[in-house]
Formats: sequence, C-alpha cells, structure tokens
Amino acid sequence: MRGRATILLLALLGAVLAGCGAPEQAGAGQLTLAAPRDLVAGPQDPYYTHQTLGVWEPLVTVDDRLRPVPALAVSWERAERGRRWTFTLRDGVRFSDGSPLTAEAVVANVRRFLRIAPRQSAFFSLDAGMEAAYGKLRDVRAEAGRVTFELAEPVADLPARIAGFFSMVQSPKAFAASGDFTGQPVGTGPYRLVEWVKGQRAVLAANPHHHGGAPAYDRIVVRVIPDANARVAALRAGEIDGLIDKGALLPGQVGAVAADPGFRVVRSPSVLTHYLTFNASRGPFADARLREAAELAIDRRAVARTLLGGTATAGGAFLSPVFGDLAAPGSGAPHDPGRARELVAAAGAPAEPVSILVSSAETGQFPYTGIAEVLRAALEQAGLPARVTVAEATKAVMEAGDYDVFLSAYSVPNGDPDYLFRRFLRSDAAWNTERRLGYRSAAFDDLVDEAAVETDPGGRRELYHRVQRMLAADRPMIPLAYQDNAIVTTSRVGGVRQSVAYVVDLGALVPRR
Amino acid sequence: MTAVVLRRGAELLLALLAVSVLVFLLTSLAPGDPAEEILRRGGVQPTAAGVAALRAELGLDQPLFTRYLRWLGGVAGGDLGRSYADRSPVAAEVFSRVPATLRLAGASALVAVGLAVLASVRLALRPRAPLSRAIALVTAALTGVPPYIVGILLISVVAVGLRALPTGGDTGPGAVVLPALTLGLAGAATLLRLLRADLADALRQPFVRLAAAKGLRARRTVLVHAVRVAAPNAVTAAGVVLAELLAGAVVVETLFAWPGLGQLAVTAIRQRDVPVVQAYVLVTGAAIVLLLACVELCLAACDPRVRRR
Repeated sequence: MRGRATILLLALLGAVLAGCGAPEQAGAGQLTLAAPRDLVAGPQDPYYTHQTLGVWEPLVTVDDRLRPVPALAVSWERAERGRRWTFTLRDGVRFSDGSPLTAEAVVANVRRFLRIAPRQSAFFSLDAGMEAAYGKLRDVRAEAGRVTFELAEPVADLPARIAGFFSMVQSPKAFAASGDFTGQPVGTGPYRLVEWVKGQRAVLAANPHHHGGAPAYDRIVVRVIPDANARVAALRAGEIDGLIDKGALLPGQVGAVAADPGFRVVRSPSVLTHYLTFNASRGPFADARLREAAELAIDRRAVARTLLGGTATAGGAFLSPVFGDLAAPGSGAPHDPGRARELVAAAGAPAEPVSILVSSAETGQFPYTGIAEVLRAALEQAGLPARVTVAEATKAVMEAGDYDVFLSAYSVPNGDPDYLFRRFLRSDAAWNTERRLGYRSAAFDDLVDEAAVETDPGGRRELYHRVQRMLAADRPMIPLAYQDNAIVTTSRVGGVRQSVAYVVDLGALVPRR
Repeated sequence: MTAVVLRRGAELLLALLAVSVLVFLLTSLAPGDPAEEILRRGGVQPTAAGVAALRAELGLDQPLFTRYLRWLGGVAGGDLGRSYADRSPVAAEVFSRVPATLRLAGASALVAVGLAVLASVRLALRPRAPLSRAIALVTAALTGVPPYIVGILLISVVAVGLRALPTGGDTGPGAVVLPALTLGLAGAATLLRLLRADLADALRQPFVRLAAAKGLRARRTVLVHAVRVAAPNAVTAAGVVLAELLAGAVVVETLFAWPGLGQLAVTAIRQRDVPVVQAYVLVTGAAIVLLLACVELCLAACDPRVRRR
C-alpha cells in the first residue's frame, strides 16, 4: 500500500516536471534579454520607453565617452557664439507608422517637453536635466527642413546638453493634448513596441521603415528580473541571451560570469561616480587639514579594485574620465597614510568619532557597508576616530547637519560639466546649502559662471581644469571611484556596445556563429 | 449563527478602519520626501522648483488629516489614488496583480498543507522510525533557513542544473512550481510543528487507548479519530500559515520575478511610490483580517463552544 503510494507520488511529480518541459528555446530571429527594471514606463511617462529599447531615437546621442554624436540629426552648426544652433536632419527617415520625419515634428516634441515640465519620469524627470538642456531657450522653429534653437544666452555645448532623452523625437500624432501618449509610442528606431506586460516584459518587433535597414533580430523580448541572483540564474539556465541596463551585473557578479567561456561581458565607463561629501559646517571637517588627511588616508585604488570588484577605477579629478579632456589631469591626492597622520596630529584629533553616513537605499546596489567600514578603518589609522551610520532618510540627517562625511553615487544627465558644479557646489546650490556642506568660495562661483558662457573649446577646457584644481585644494567633495557598468550576452550575440548612459543599441545586435 | 456573523462583521469593519489609519500614518510619516525621490530617479539632483511643483501636484503640501480623509473617501469609492511613479490608477494595477498572487498562494498552500498533513500523520504513527526522524530534522532546518536561500538553492539545482523548470517569471504552467515549493516549504514547516503537537495531544486522550483496547488499527485511530479531534486547531493553524504565506510572498515573488502583489510592493517601496505601498498594505491587511474571520466562522460552525464565546 505504502509502496504504491510512493510510486504514484513519484509518477505524479515526474509528470508535472515533464509537462512543464524545458524552457522554450529562442527561435531563429528572436532574442531574449533581461533587465533589472521595466524599460517601458507607459503612456503617462514623457518618453513611454527607455532609449535603449530603440523604439525612438534622439536628435543627438552620446558615445562611450559622453561625446555628442549624430542620431536623427546628421550635423549641427553654431552661430552667434552659441546663441543659435541649427540641426540638419537625416534624409529619408520615417516613423514606424510610415509617416516622414520632419523638422516640424522635432519642434513639436521640444515644445511638448517645455509645456509639460516639470514632469516626473521613470528615467529622466523633466526637471534639472531639462533646465540644463532648454533653460536658456528662447525659441525653437523649423526652417527649410532644419531645426533652429534660439537661445537667450550663449551655450557652448547645446548638442551635449540635449543628447539622449531630452532630444527624443516621436510622431506628434502619438501625443494627446495633455502631453500623455494616446496609444503606442511611434518613433523612428529599429524596433516597435508590440506588447508590454507591465513589470514583466516588453516585446519588440523590427520596424520595417527603419532608416538604417531592418535589424538582425525580428523580435526582441526584454524581461524584467529584479533580483540580481535570479538574473544570472536565468542566463545560466539558457532562458535569456543577455542582461542589459544599469546594474545588470553587480560588481560582485562580474568576475564569475566573465570567467564562463559561454558569456561575453561588456564593461564600459558610465555616468556614475561615487563621491564623498564633507560636512564642513561643523566639527572636524571644517578644518581643511582634516579633510586633506581624510583624502590621503583612503586607498581609493584598493576600494575600486577589491570592494567594487574591479568594476570601477580610482577617483582623481572631480569630473570623471567620461568627460574626456574636460577632466583635469593629475588632480586628486595620492594615498599617503603617513602624511595623513601628521596632518591629524597637527590639527588635533576630534573628541567625538566622525560619522560616515551611507544611505540604506544604495547598499543593495553597491557594497557601501563594506566600503564605509574600510573608510572607517582608514580614518582611524590616521588618528581620526570614526563610526558608520546607515540611514534610510539621509536627506533629513544631512539637513540636520548630523554627519561628517557622506558616501553616495551621482550620475550626470549629459556631457555638460556645469551641472555638477552649479547644482552641488556653487555657494547657492541647494545641495551645498541644505545639506550643510558649508562650502563658500566666491572665486569658485565666479569661475563656474565664467566657464559656463565660454564658447571657445580651449578656453573652456582651461577654465574647467582651474575649477577642478580649486576643488582638489578645497575638498568640499572628493571623487572616490568612477563606476563602470557591466552587461553580458551569450557568445552567440555580437555587436554589443554600451554608451555611458547605459544605452545599448539593440539595432546593432547580430547573431554570431 | 446569524448573530455571530453580524457581530463579527461589525468587528471586522472596525478592524479594517484601524488598518486604514495605521497604513496611512505609517506610510505618510516615513522619513524622506517622495517628491524629491521621484524626481531623482534618473540619478539627477532635482531642482527646488521641480520638487515644490510636484509636491503641490501630488497634494503632499496639504495637512496630514486632510490627506487621510481624501484618501479614505477615495478608498471607500474604490479609488486607491494614482501612482506617484507613473501616474497610473493604483486600483487597476493592484487588482491586476491579485490573480498571480492568489495562484502562487493557492499552490503554496497546497504544498504546505499537503506536506504538513502527510508528515504529521507519519510522525504520529511511527515517531521513532528513521524516516520520521529525518522529517523532524528537515523541518527544523527549514524553519531556520530563510525562503530566499531555499529559493536560490531550488533555482540553481532544478532550473540551472537540471533545466527542468524556468528560473522565474510567469512564463508557463510550470513556472509556479519553484516559487510555490519555496513558499510552501516554509509554510509546511510551521504548520507541521503545530499539527504535530495537536495530534500528539489527541493521541494522549483516553479514547485512543479505548480504540487500541478494542483492537482498532493504529492507522485508523489516527486518521479517523485523532485527526478529527485535532482538526479545529489545525484550521486555526492553517489560517495563520496562509497569512504568513501572503507576507512571505514579498520575498519569493521578487526572487522569482513573479508578477504578483509582493513584487509590486517591493518595486513601489524602492521608488517611494506611497499610494501603491498604501494600497498593498491595505489590501493584504484586509485579506488577512477576512481570512482570520473566515477561520473563526469555520470553527464556530463545527464547534458549538466557540459560538457561545
């Protein structure tokens, strides 16, 4: 009796397992990818989909060095020292509904952004980045098939500022009067969105009207797998052909996945930088010598190599290397614990331990608790007693001034360095004043203002180098590490490239034998 | 019986109102400014003007009590507000997720109740057999290991190693097996400990000795007589375990990318999407209150002593 029951149970289990079968294999022409978040945000979002899905294309996009490169605009011209910018559109481009791309359509998109801002988005809110892009815009118009932006003040790098999301172009017919979408997104990209199950998957089909010819894959399914371990498991189980987007592989996973010959990991620099922000409005770090001691005490190379698993490079200049020659060479102090001890001895160690603040929201994405512990040990070795505080609401803690150094990561919305200096460190910046950084420098403010309107590339570069040298000496914030982003595909997928803004050109993906 | 139902109904409404106050207070008083968090989603520092405008649009500049009344009025009319994150109606989003969670909870309950009943009977019949000892050991281990670890193990062995089942997502009929096993095993362990104690209690009753004396087989004594005595407690235990399953679904749904309420809640918490979090807590809170009320009614129906209390 018991034997029969066992056999029956085993048979049942076997039937269930067999019935479920092996996970369906991707057929020829279909590619299945996964991302940590939903790359479709829906009809109420300003963009509907993330740029990566290739449903829409921008006028200008960025390459792997944050340089503006042509997308729907093939070229641009600057006039009146940067008060007028004219973009020439690519010929023969059609939206996925077959209607042609016109300069009027581009103008309608920009006007829609201006009308609905500020508006939240799952990707880039129409807020601070919009202000950097279009804050000085007086008029935008279509002229003989070209798009002209008239600005109230000279802007040296408008293409860099509007690159990506802020120069998205979709068919004006896709928008309702409210600025929401009436139905599906209608763009010019290699793919169309044909199915979307919120929080689960987006299904893309090749756009027959794409100007660059049909992409290699007929269909791409992008699944949402929020858990980092589950993402890699799905890859290893052969259910998906790759992982894309910000944080696709966490620093701790890159080594093991890269060691597998069946996978190809693509690591490239990103717009994300880990910074340490000092509270110089109170106690120990009001003393410039102790801020210098803290910087000398920290072995940034070791943090990048070990704790961030080699997915980051040690911080130096305030602007990360993705800013190209705008990043000041040779700025940033070396690791010198001996000198740090001397400085602490000279300044006198504080009675209270310094508080290293970390946001609990960021500890899941980066090994911040580990890094904070290493920072604590480094400071203590230099003679500065320290403790680590992990808080949920770091904003409230910082506004109360109850911290000494804050570890956090920041992204830049575009290639415009002005954003970081103006939003974070200028004497009137909300970050500086509300978060009690206590950094007041008239010389810095003047230099930032001067650099923002300098349109000569050489002069501009020199001004931004001076800004960074000033910050390297004053140390209100120091860059700890520049973060790369790692994505992966099986070795059967080729053509994988990633921009600094996590955009993978899905249209360029090709099967490999 | 009608009086019992009516009285319990009134109590239920009060309990739900208390849940609504708690839900609203806890989510609204949580530190951090949702408006700022939402605007910072691309990793870009928001402007003060943008934050102020969004606060006004979301009604966050209103006094707490006004916000509560407005929210409660909406809830009473079936309107759970709009998501801060993507401005879509929350009620539609939440209810579209209910079937997936119910499917997972149902499958896990089957696993939990099935395994727990089988194992507890086995343990009652032959407490000293090697298999029984093994079951007791595995149960103790399962109680100590969090479902996340069990889930990862199942994924790496069954999905990655054997490629027998998908690693996650609601991709086919087999997709529910691994998450249901993960969640069900944790429930089975809890339920088994409760059932085993009840069954052991029942087996110490004089009628068991009487049954043995008159020559009834041990199997029949346990399955027919002792189980019936232990049943009311088992129903209570099952109710508690089901409530636990709903709570555990948050972790398991995220791990297996299962498109249910738990995953929705985790995403919403990460994004500071307060209306969605409120709706999740309210709906699961109401479900648990209702579940426990059902358990009580079941008990009242089969045991007259409960009715008089």
